[in-house]
Amino acid sequence: MLTYNFRYELKLLLRSRWIQLLSLMLLVLFGFSAFNGQQKVEKRRSDIAEAHLEMRENDAMMLMLLDSVEHGLEVSVPYWTIPSSPMALGNYYPRVAAMEPQPMAFLSTGQADLFTHYVKPTVSGDDFALNFTEMTSPVQLLFGSFDLAFVIVYLLPLLIIAFSYNVLSAERENGSIRLLAAQPITIQEWVMQKLGLRFFWMALLVTVTLILAFLLIGMDIVAQATSFLSFLALVLAYMLFWFALAFLINLQAGSSAKNAVALLGLWVVFVLFVPSVVNQLGNTFYPMPSRTLMINEMRSLKEEVAKKQDEILDNFLRDHPEYALNDTTQSRGFYHRYMASQRLIREELSPAVNAYEEQLQKQQDWIGRFKWISPAILAQESLNEMAGTSTENYEDFRKQVIAFAETWRGHLTPFLYNNRDFSQKDYPNLPKFIYQKSQASTWSGLAIILVLSGLVYLIGIFIYKRQKERNILTTF
Amino acid sequence: MIITDNLTKKYGDQTVLDHLNLHVKEGEIYCLLGANGAGKTTTINLLLGFIEPTSGSAFINQLNVQENPRTTKLFLAYIPENLMLYPSLTAVENLDYFSGIGGKRLSDSDLKGFLGEAGLQPEAFDKRISTFSKGMRQKVGIAIALAKDAKVLLLDEPTSGLDPKASNEFGLLLQKLRAKGVATLMATHDLFRAKDVATHIGIMKDGRLKQQFKADDISLSELENSYLNTMGYKELAI
Repeated sequence: MLTYNFRYELKLLLRSRWIQLLSLMLLVLFGFSAFNGQQKVEKRRSDIAEAHLEMRENDAMMLMLLDSVEHGLEVSVPYWTIPSSPMALGNYYPRVAAMEPQPMAFLSTGQADLFTHYVKPTVSGDDFALNFTEMTSPVQLLFGSFDLAFVIVYLLPLLIIAFSYNVLSAERENGSIRLLAAQPITIQEWVMQKLGLRFFWMALLVTVTLILAFLLIGMDIVAQATSFLSFLALVLAYMLFWFALAFLINLQAGSSAKNAVALLGLWVVFVLFVPSVVNQLGNTFYPMPSRTLMINEMRSLKEEVAKKQDEILDNFLRDHPEYALNDTTQSRGFYHRYMASQRLIREELSPAVNAYEEQLQKQQDWIGRFKWISPAILAQESLNEMAGTSTENYEDFRKQVIAFAETWRGHLTPFLYNNRDFSQKDYPNLPKFIYQKSQASTWSGLAIILVLSGLVYLIGIFIYKRQKERNILTTF
Repeated sequence: MIITDNLTKKYGDQTVLDHLNLHVKEGEIYCLLGANGAGKTTTINLLLGFIEPTSGSAFINQLNVQENPRTTKLFLAYIPENLMLYPSLTAVENLDYFSGIGGKRLSDSDLKGFLGEAGLQPEAFDKRISTFSKGMRQKVGIAIALAKDAKVLLLDEPTSGLDPKASNEFGLLLQKLRAKGVATLMATHDLFRAKDVATHIGIMKDGRLKQQFKADDISLSELENSYLNTMGYKELAI
């Protein structure tokens, strides 16, 4: 029987032009969104490449200046930018701490619109610890990015609804249901086979059109086979959830119009309402401290400590006798006092910064606790994770940058307090930033979506058994 | 072949079928006459297993319908008042599909043979059902019964809306099936067609089988008078 359903379902779909229409729509949607995502990735890549190029050019200039200084030549740059001074080097020749896009970054813009992809931490600056956002178009924030994740999470369910809402009701409405029910097959089996076959054909179309779209944007699918397969598995699991919902609704013996409204209602609930409510509640229960207040607090603290920098420096040197012992000149200037005071500022500010980070963590934990309610959240988060653009990825990048800034400062501070000049031979030892992507698994999201699909399917069977077949067969 | 044993169906307090006892043997055509709401379609729904009886039992090929819903459907064919097939499939494809899900794998020539036997013109075999008249669709329905090698045929107002020629052709097809030993139960309003094709006739009113005849024992006018009297239209009876 399955073979007959298989053969004739394909014929019916082809003759009703569903397959052709779906193929075209999927190709256009996937192609355009993948291209759109790829454009953003290219822009990000070129921004980072530009920053690296600028750094290399600056480094070349720095080495030339150092060479001149070391040979006792005059240099035509302001004296406070001469790189033999470790603080000048640390401030005017910073390293680029970049978050290179992942191979699948084009899948999802995620947080990439909000956060910066590279920073240049300096020895005296600390704003980067707090201010990681980019100026973003409010219109784009309002409408979101038209990327593959948007197409998959938001639009694909709508196509599935259009493709499956009337599998049974159409048979009832055109009168063929009674003839079907007179055959040795139950309606439940028939609907399941019919939807199963539609899932199969749609999965095939989605797979083929995704491969085409990926090839169009120049992705090497063979090299990225594992990533591509896990992405495909996630998409198919998400589709399965929506087909399971269609199965549940189809068996409720409603009219086609009622089924369409019910499925669209569920789309609103799972795709718009639940994610919004979970986020809103997260914000309500764990509100983020104001950045403005924190920056104001930092400024007033700076003013306060600036007034007592001599005292701070004395305290600092008492805590770090190694700097005092190694320097025979014992001369102390602006940067000695400044760096000592910066340390104090960081210590004073750490409760506020920690509170911000803890609150952010609590928010994320809250969302994590409830994300299983909506497969849309799970799918979006998994896609962001695959693309390397999730909140966790950017938070992780921020922490790595802060750690690198500390390393940068820690590398150059001894030069300052030992009153040692930076020289050409010290250049190769300058710290380098390498972004390490955390290896979060996307399989848990996929597994939860599969479990939810199974649950919806079982609910469908349970309700169907309770209402009995007669309602379906005798209403019309 | 078709047996109903005190078959009763109630919806709340309303009895729509009241202790129906029928016995349709191999090669018999039993026509159930009655006004709308008499219980004819309910009887067919119970025999198809679409609804469950309140009491009593229905049997197809000696199998209890409620206990063996799937097996009994292997032996029966059903043609509703408006036989709706898949409009975008051809006659051959529709026959292949319904035979297939009924468990029969047939070759193309077999399928065309059954359509021809059911009286469909060969030029219509590969045409889409959307271009078919009701009479042509009913012939495809008969072809489904033939292909299934059904022992039992259940018909619900099959000639309603057919022109006299198509209705006559349909009657002839039923006789063909009768000759093959098929037991047929047909619900109809059409006294003339009932008298023409039936071996047995029953008149139902308010869920009860009021009268039963052998078709050969009664003339058309006697049947008409009996029907009108049973329905309570004595003033119209001759």
